[in-house]
Amino acid sequence: MAVEMIAPPQLQQEQITEAGGRYTFTVDDYYRMAEHGILPPDARVELIEGEILTMSPVGGKHVTCFHTVMRQIDRQLDSTVTVRVQSPVRLNNHTEPEPDVAVIRERDYGDGHPGPDDVFLLVEVSDTTLRFDRNRKIPVYAAAGIPEVWIVDLNAAVVTRYTGPNDGAYDLQERFRRGQSLTIDALPAVTGVVDDILPKG
Amino acid sequence: MAVETIAPPQLTHEAGDRYQFTVHDYHRMAEAGILDEKQRVELIEGDIVWMAPLGGTHVESVMVANRPFVHAVGDHAFVSIQSSVRLNDLSEPQPDMAIVRKRRYGGKLPTPEDVFLIVEIADTSLRFDRDRKVALYAASDIPEVWIVDVNAGVLLRFAEPIDGQYRIADRHERGATLMLSALPSATIAVSDFFPE
Repeated sequence: MAVEMIAPPQLQQEQITEAGGRYTFTVDDYYRMAEHGILPPDARVELIEGEILTMSPVGGKHVTCFHTVMRQIDRQLDSTVTVRVQSPVRLNNHTEPEPDVAVIRERDYGDGHPGPDDVFLLVEVSDTTLRFDRNRKIPVYAAAGIPEVWIVDLNAAVVTRYTGPNDGAYDLQERFRRGQSLTIDALPAVTGVVDDILPKG
Repeated sequence: MAVETIAPPQLTHEAGDRYQFTVHDYHRMAEAGILDEKQRVELIEGDIVWMAPLGGTHVESVMVANRPFVHAVGDHAFVSIQSSVRLNDLSEPQPDMAIVRKRRYGGKLPTPEDVFLIVEIADTSLRFDRDRKVALYAASDIPEVWIVDVNAGVLLRFAEPIDGQYRIADRHERGATLMLSALPSATIAVSDFFPE
């Protein structure tokens, strides 16, 4: 008779109550803070693993880049897929980031946000935020099972593609430079051309 | 005539910096039920952080020290137990004991000018108390802080804040008696924090 292994309960969401340990918020807390004006309407924040984190001000180069990525991808999509910019994606009860570009399943989201199962690709444009995007957001995206992430590093003029989420990391990381192009794993007909994504150099 | 230019305060928000809550935000979270009253938290430099669950040793230390403090300060001060002190717009800790000026508070919390001494009983929280809270108290010009390390049976005294640091930092064993620097008529023995 086969012995069935039962996974231990996930302790990840449990609050660590050691003195000085940071209090973590749920998505529900986060929305109630906005509702009660505790988070001002113009606050540029995102909820990452229960922490409310500030987002850096968006510079012109950054906006131009994610807008270009959005346009480039959007015109290759059929009606079953759509693309959003700087919109929330709800990864779990403690994490709701706002990636620069989200390529998601087209459906009626009502008053909710796309979840990991809806996502084909997330793109983060890094001007000043490379370390945070790479060290904090990538593991969070991988843990949530986001199938693919592109980080556009404006300073190094490189697009890094992360695929194969596996236990909080991505198995595959590939770098694409000017002259190259890349496709979305789940949507092989959709191509990103690095020369078009990066500012004219 | 020379024109003096004053640089505006720098608000550098780097991506991934934690959003800082003010004491006002913090109280509104409690009002809105986002922070449950049963949750033991305090606001430290804009961060809402957990306080260690109160263990028996910790509670007993506060209980036995209470009466000696009340006697020692007499009519000069209040002994406030496990209550909030508003240090500034971003910090409102709840020390185990705060010896504060006797006055009418009119529904407001004591502020640094009111405080003669802050005592933290450290059972499991020694590192946080010693490393983060002492620095915060020094920056707030709290005249004196005692950290009672109940496991080691010693009292760490920090006094004379200058430029965000305590000039005096020393260690007292059981058998020692200390005088409050801001209230010299009051003396407390280290053994007062430990049951007979």
